[in-house]
Amino acid sequence: MRHPRPDPVGPVFTEDWGRLVAGLIGWCGDFELAEEAAADAFAAAAQRWPAEGRPDAPFAWLTTVARNRVRDRLRRRATERAKLPLLVEDDTTEAPEPPEDVPDDRLRLIFTCCHPALAMPARVALTLRTLGGLTSAEIARAFLVTETTMDKRLVRARAKIRNAGIPYRVPPAPLLPERLQGVLAVLYLMFNEGYAATTDPAVVRPDVTAEAIRLTRLVRALLPGATEPAALLALMLLTDARRAARIRDGAIVLLNDQDRSRWDRRAIAEGAALLRELAAVPDSGPPSAYEVQARIALEHDRAARPEDTDWAVIARLYRLLPRTAVTELNRAVAVSMVDGPQAGLDLIAPLASELGGYHLYAATEADFLIRLGRIDQARAALERAAGLTRNPSERRLLEARGRAL
Amino acid sequence: MKFMLIHLLDESRIPHAQEWDPTEAGLTAWVEEMGVRGHLLDGDRLRPSTDATVVRNREGRTEVLDGPFAETKEQIAGYDAIEAADLDEALAVAAAHPTVLNGGAIEVRPFGPDMPTPRVPEPTAGKRRYLHMVVSDTAQYERFFAEFVATRDEDAADEGENEIDAWLTKYAGARIYGWELAPPSSASTVRLQDGSPTVLDGPYAETKEHIVGYDLLECDDLDEAIAIAADHPAGTVELRPVWS
Repeated sequence: MRHPRPDPVGPVFTEDWGRLVAGLIGWCGDFELAEEAAADAFAAAAQRWPAEGRPDAPFAWLTTVARNRVRDRLRRRATERAKLPLLVEDDTTEAPEPPEDVPDDRLRLIFTCCHPALAMPARVALTLRTLGGLTSAEIARAFLVTETTMDKRLVRARAKIRNAGIPYRVPPAPLLPERLQGVLAVLYLMFNEGYAATTDPAVVRPDVTAEAIRLTRLVRALLPGATEPAALLALMLLTDARRAARIRDGAIVLLNDQDRSRWDRRAIAEGAALLRELAAVPDSGPPSAYEVQARIALEHDRAARPEDTDWAVIARLYRLLPRTAVTELNRAVAVSMVDGPQAGLDLIAPLASELGGYHLYAATEADFLIRLGRIDQARAALERAAGLTRNPSERRLLEARGRAL
Repeated sequence: MKFMLIHLLDESRIPHAQEWDPTEAGLTAWVEEMGVRGHLLDGDRLRPSTDATVVRNREGRTEVLDGPFAETKEQIAGYDAIEAADLDEALAVAAAHPTVLNGGAIEVRPFGPDMPTPRVPEPTAGKRRYLHMVVSDTAQYERFFAEFVATRDEDAADEGENEIDAWLTKYAGARIYGWELAPPSSASTVRLQDGSPTVLDGPYAETKEHIVGYDLLECDDLDEAIAIAADHPAGTVELRPVWS
């Protein structure tokens, strides 16, 4: 199934696909049927709008067409099974009432797609499919699996929602904070998968990254009372701002070597504004991990040159994150910029048993060793790092650094 | 005595729901016969393990996970609660079931002592039924059960029982019935060998965790079932939608 997206349909597709599918599911209660009918409606639009012009109310037009398709399909199914479901008995020939956009429908849909009883890869795929409108072929390509595997994953997830009785709703207040965490975790994973694929030679997969940002924006707009969606959105914007400078000639460029004039100033300004809003929220308690990470990203983003980075602030921010070996590794980098490479080396020494198999541990150690002039040891650490990464582009970078010593 | 029959099938061999005909499969005949003979107390098919959800309580945090509690080749496909004079009669009831005749297995487990005869009403419209299977570390449960049987006549309601009582009271509205099982060491498994039903000692799989009891729930949706499971004093619960 492909969605043609030429103008005038393209912009409407990005905006309205999720709304359309969410509304149809609320109306007919069937994920698959809703997706098929929405795809049919956009296909019809692609055929007719270029000649007839885009209707005044494109969303209402799409909903009418899609609802008729749902009825057609149910009627066909009913004939096949000689059973009459309720929706078909109500055989209306007149066009259905023009739909109103009920934003809650999209919120219901995202909470259902990100339900904890679904496997994580299924949550990510289903969210991209139903809310983002990516085809299963596109999602399969983004996650480096075959289309058959992705189809199966989506079919299974829809079947579980139906058969296991996963409710189509925004969770009630006592469940909401926990479930919202789950939704944000799916969006953050989606963003990271798109931003730094572990094995993809193309390194950045912008479709998925952009979609994660768009959906986080949506969740923030639909749940204005919650602060964490804003924090996650800030983190994504402040990270994604560096995307254009992050790849050169198919290879990753380290933060220090990036052409900072290519950073997206608008994204940085938006992320910074979000963080200012968060800081102004009264009685909000300690900052969430997303907010702290966003503030770290902002410290990097606002340094005009690498040497302008305020590493002391970054080192302090790392202390606010839940203490894990990886955050300690990152904190050591910041500390080394303030107190010197030996201080960094001392901080990471106790992490060796836990992070020995992690390529960034070896790469960080190499960096400290280089700055201490211990070149032979540094070269060995870089070789270790190159052997540990699964990303070919990162491996080339590490090997090149080793040769340059 | 009351026994639980746990039906186990290789899911890759289970036919699609639409193609599956209980009459043709011999199930209707078994249900009728065992009903007439007074063996059958309750029982149903379960949705496949792809529709299963596991709820684990660890250190005060609830984890909700997709899938069954054990990734075994054969998965639980249904259950029956039966009444039989003794184990031999229970094994004969199991051996006549189409699950065994079609190449699956049935694990036969005695229920714990003093189980009342379950009364299972017709399903309520708009509600969903789930089998809430309590899963426990096998070795731990063996010890717990031995102690429980040895001391149950003494009037010593320990902390664990109070927790269970509180849970039972809290969820009386959603819970149709339920009971604990004798541990896996008292399990027998019936399956075909050389074409005829054969009784084997022990549970169907040598896993670290086993089902140690179940409750049949009637809920609005999966979230209600998850909330009930999350409150259960035992660590782990697998929730399986009942087919009908």
